[in-house]
Amino acid sequence: MSNSPIDQAIRQAGRIVLGKERQIRLALVCLLARGHLLIEDLPGVGKTILAHVLARLLGLNFHRIQCTADMLPADIIGVSIYDRNSGGFQFHPGPIFAQVILVDEINRAMPKSQSALLEAMEEHQVTCEGETRPLPEPFFVIATQNPSHQIGTFPLPESQLDRFLMRIEMGYPDQAAERELLAGADRRDMMASLSPSMDPGELLELQQSVTEVHASEALIAYVQALAEHTRRSPDYDAGLSPRAALALLRAARAWALIDHRDLVLPEDIQAVLPAIAGHRLRPSSGMQTASSAEIAAALIAAVPLP
Amino acid sequence: MASKPAPPLTRTQELWLLACAVLTLVPAIQPAPPWLAAALILALAWRAWLWWRRATLPPRWLLNLLVVAGSVGVFLTYRHLFGKDPGIALLILFLALKLLEMRRPRDGLAVIFLCYFLLLTHFLNAQGMEVAGLALAALVVITSALASLAHAGSGVLAQLRLAVLMLAQALPFMLVLFLLFPRVQGPLWGMPVDAYSGMTGLSESMSPGDISRLIQSGEIAFRVRFEGQIPPQPSLYWRGPVLGNFDGRSWRASLAREKVGLPDTATSQPVGYEITLEPHNKTWLFALEIPASLPAGASLSREYLIQARAPVRSRLRYAMQSSPGAGHDPGESAVSLRRYLSLPPNNPRTQALAQQWRREATDPEAVIRRMLEHFRQESFFYTLTPPLLGENSIDEFLFGTRRGFCEHYASAFTFTLRAAGIPARVVTGYQGGQRNPVDGYLIVRQSDAHAWAEAWLEGRGWVRVDPTAAIAPSRIEAGLASAMPASEALPFMVRADFSWLRQLRFRWEAVGNAWNQWVLGYDPQRQREVLSRLGMREPDWQAMAAAMATLCGLLLLALTAWALRKRIRLDPTQRAWNRLSRKLGRIGLARRPWEGPADYARRVAQARPELAQSIQAIAGLYVDLRYGKLNGDAPSQRLRGLVSGLDIAVSK
Amino acid sequence: MQAVASFKRWLFRLYGPEAAPIRLSQRRVYVLPTRAGLAFAASLVLMLTGAINYNLSLGYALIFLLAGLGLVTLLHTFRNLVHLEISPGRVEPVFAGDNAGFGLQLHNRRGQSRFALELKLDGGETQACDLAAEATTLVSLPLLARRRGWLRPGRVTLETRYPLCLVRAWSYVEPDMRCLVYPKPEASAPPLPLAANGENGGPRGGRGSEDFSGLRSHQPADSPRHVAWKAVAREQILLTKQFAGASAAQVWLDWNALPQGLDVEARLSRLTRWLIDAHSRGLAYGLRLPGRQLALGQGAQHFQECLEALALHGL
Repeated sequence: MSNSPIDQAIRQAGRIVLGKERQIRLALVCLLARGHLLIEDLPGVGKTILAHVLARLLGLNFHRIQCTADMLPADIIGVSIYDRNSGGFQFHPGPIFAQVILVDEINRAMPKSQSALLEAMEEHQVTCEGETRPLPEPFFVIATQNPSHQIGTFPLPESQLDRFLMRIEMGYPDQAAERELLAGADRRDMMASLSPSMDPGELLELQQSVTEVHASEALIAYVQALAEHTRRSPDYDAGLSPRAALALLRAARAWALIDHRDLVLPEDIQAVLPAIAGHRLRPSSGMQTASSAEIAAALIAAVPLP
Repeated sequence: MASKPAPPLTRTQELWLLACAVLTLVPAIQPAPPWLAAALILALAWRAWLWWRRATLPPRWLLNLLVVAGSVGVFLTYRHLFGKDPGIALLILFLALKLLEMRRPRDGLAVIFLCYFLLLTHFLNAQGMEVAGLALAALVVITSALASLAHAGSGVLAQLRLAVLMLAQALPFMLVLFLLFPRVQGPLWGMPVDAYSGMTGLSESMSPGDISRLIQSGEIAFRVRFEGQIPPQPSLYWRGPVLGNFDGRSWRASLAREKVGLPDTATSQPVGYEITLEPHNKTWLFALEIPASLPAGASLSREYLIQARAPVRSRLRYAMQSSPGAGHDPGESAVSLRRYLSLPPNNPRTQALAQQWRREATDPEAVIRRMLEHFRQESFFYTLTPPLLGENSIDEFLFGTRRGFCEHYASAFTFTLRAAGIPARVVTGYQGGQRNPVDGYLIVRQSDAHAWAEAWLEGRGWVRVDPTAAIAPSRIEAGLASAMPASEALPFMVRADFSWLRQLRFRWEAVGNAWNQWVLGYDPQRQREVLSRLGMREPDWQAMAAAMATLCGLLLLALTAWALRKRIRLDPTQRAWNRLSRKLGRIGLARRPWEGPADYARRVAQARPELAQSIQAIAGLYVDLRYGKLNGDAPSQRLRGLVSGLDIAVSK
Repeated sequence: MQAVASFKRWLFRLYGPEAAPIRLSQRRVYVLPTRAGLAFAASLVLMLTGAINYNLSLGYALIFLLAGLGLVTLLHTFRNLVHLEISPGRVEPVFAGDNAGFGLQLHNRRGQSRFALELKLDGGETQACDLAAEATTLVSLPLLARRRGWLRPGRVTLETRYPLCLVRAWSYVEPDMRCLVYPKPEASAPPLPLAANGENGGPRGGRGSEDFSGLRSHQPADSPRHVAWKAVAREQILLTKQFAGASAAQVWLDWNALPQGLDVEARLSRLTRWLIDAHSRGLAYGLRLPGRQLALGQGAQHFQECLEALALHGL
């Protein structure tokens, strides 16, 4: 087994978040590809732990925002409060000013607050009172969302969903993992013992090297064929946008990188496809609603390798 | 289904159709009556101008009026509306006017069909290679126009390329059909008399200057292919009309059409040859003296002139045998010989001279010798441009000008013999010919036209006497060019200099002859000949139709194979990869269409651990080539080698 | 008529919707001369008699070349259509009375282009397209959607006269696809029943009956309606008014609340109109149909779900 910082991080995370190596890898890929992650699942399956562990392992500072229905944009971004003594406004930065942010239950926040958050995510900066404040680098948002159609939620609109590079589901742990979880020590105590596998500088370097992973003509043709298919096929209401295709390629590059390859294979595309396409593709009306994995599998099977 | 109206023609389509019309109409201008030619040029110019200015087409009532006016014009010109010439005229008229109401693709199709018909009518006038070339060019343009009607969206060049491709593909079908379509000797119905006119050649009469005019033409009279050696030049007398009646100025053929049997030629060796006669619109067929056989359907007149049943209006090929040295006696009676003594009362000096010579001579042959001696010794000149002669033409020539061409000498000679009481007549025809070194054919041109005399000698029959041979022996030995002084304006083909040009011309004429022999002369007879040479025993029409159908079917099959072939070019790397999949498919491990190389290699390795190593090597190389930065021929070649070398044991 | 139709089905091998992709095999492509082609053949016969009569050797050559051209055209036209692959493409739902667009994907697996392909649905308009080598194109075939529910396109006629118009090659396919047709929105429907429902009663537009709770600095996402313009004038800075408990107006579209006299289609038609109005005004809306209820919601997806429920009601 290789001993690169990435492998170390994956191993260490795997010891705490049990039986979720795939999700850990995807989360790392998302981070390396400079994207943001949306985790959609029921409460209590380890979303928060995953976010925490990642921040810890990569040596990044961490904030958590718990969304509620009465939360305002200012509660995320920060607010300038009028100071009578100085006779001016003074900016009090919100929780968004951190390197890793866990936005819990984002669909509980009002659309207005959601959009403020997502705009910050997109721009990597916050504008407040005409003053632009950059967010720290690296900047990684992990948002969690309860499955939609729960009472009192505001599901993220599609345009906002597109801001997340990936959406993954945690799923219940398998039997062995659950037994270990129940028998083992408290996860939060274990977390304290974690040591960072790399420093932020190394992480930035890795992010840079993702862009250097080679994607050949044939591979780009494959990405194109996948996107084309979703646009033409009657199975989807809306096809993958060019931005989605770019996201797919970027994530596949990162996936190849953590697999220690300097070239992208179709398998990399196929591996990240559920996380990339699941929240961007809507099966057409009249089709059975399907999980991300099922949608991706159908798409993969429909498009031969060029 | 008549939903929306068809779209109007695009400008490109109009241009194509205009080009079709111009290419097919221009050759029709010259033979058309002048008023129609003028109208045609006007209509084309008008239409082109309308196209250029993007102007609207003239109203329908005007065109209807023009159609009526034009038809009346045609009727007034020809006095009827049916038949070849009025038909062509009407075709031209309709095409020109259709161009002026060309709005929709339907009209375009009508223009194209009219062009096809018009193209066919050009062949009525001429069928040379240049006509065929022009027709082929027109056909390419017409087909392009058709292609543009079917698909306006493609570019002009693409349409042209398509037309050429399709015509090229149609060519084998044309060859098969041309070779095997059972030929029928036309006509199917009686042809109007006007079908043939304006052909040059010898006629039934001869006046001074007729032949010297004829020899100015370099046109080919006929071609001869000898079975053996070509006989020597001086013996090549091609017999034509025999002129027995003299009115003092012109010699005319006798109207008697009495038939005789073939002369007895057993004494001499016959020469076999085949003549391809250009149409001359007369009934006689040329042959070497003296015919020993007759072409099928032809007869021999008492004057030994071969007569066909009908005027020769298309190129005619016939096989002949002749005995150049044979005797010449159809058994003339005293009554018939009297005809060859009759003279008009003029030319008194010649008559007096002839009678004097007859009195002084011991026998008729002495008179002939005396006369030839006279031509040789007195200052007679052989020239293409003799002075004009008056009332007593023979007297003036013999005693005055003494300058003349062969017809003058033959005429004067025959006259003198008759005046001396010896039966004599003028024979016209051709003398000599030119051997084309390219294909070995002897070419006889109008410039080889000649006239000589025949005298009746008791016991010997008709004897050929050529006074030209006395005055200009080289005319007979070596042809006209050597007999003429350099100052004479000779027809181009006859001249001795410009040898390279003549070579070129020979070559061109050999091609033309092949064209005539094999394309234009491909008649029922030649078809049978060719087919039996190709191995068809009994080339009857059923066999031909069967062969035609079979060959066309085969061609169609070949073309279908071409049409259905898939031409997706894969790079060699991908081909090798697909080959691997096919190979492994034999053991149920074909690659799924969406399966990536690493996944596939893993799956194969799991199913067949013994293949794991080689599969990993192949997949690794393939990944580097297809998804990595590796490229070039050598690694690709290595991949192919690895795939070929993969040994799969088909167990289980 | 029935017999003819069934004979045609047998002849052209149509046995109901086919699984994608449909490949036009040799046996499915039919070729016959067009009217122009028949005229072409007749002209050739006429020209042949002329050539025989006048013994025109070149005439024979011309006619035989043209006959060969005719045969070649037959093949070219056939080739232009054969081995084409067809698979269903995207079909957007439409309202009854509009034209449904049935997207068909045409795949050219060959290394040569195909030109002037014409596609038509029975009762629809003809669409023409060209197809480059090894390319795929999407053609949308219009068909008038008369009734709500699922609309099937039926038989598609693919034909081509390329390259010379003399021959027509055609084939019939029946792709497995359908279009969702929403009910036709009522043209002059009464206004949205805003007053007639809601637990609190009274209209709740965006005018804000909620309590004013304070000022904060302006965020890009804030609505301009909430800018405190008075404060702006005073402080020279954009401030946003904050309200507590701001919520969108909501409306229930209820089948049973409609007048008794309306029949099923009229009810669906009116509900459709109201649905469109509610969606375009950005309200939260729910739908109550006999046997089905869609909760209050917003957004494109919710809108489509409601329309789908209306379209398929009782079918």
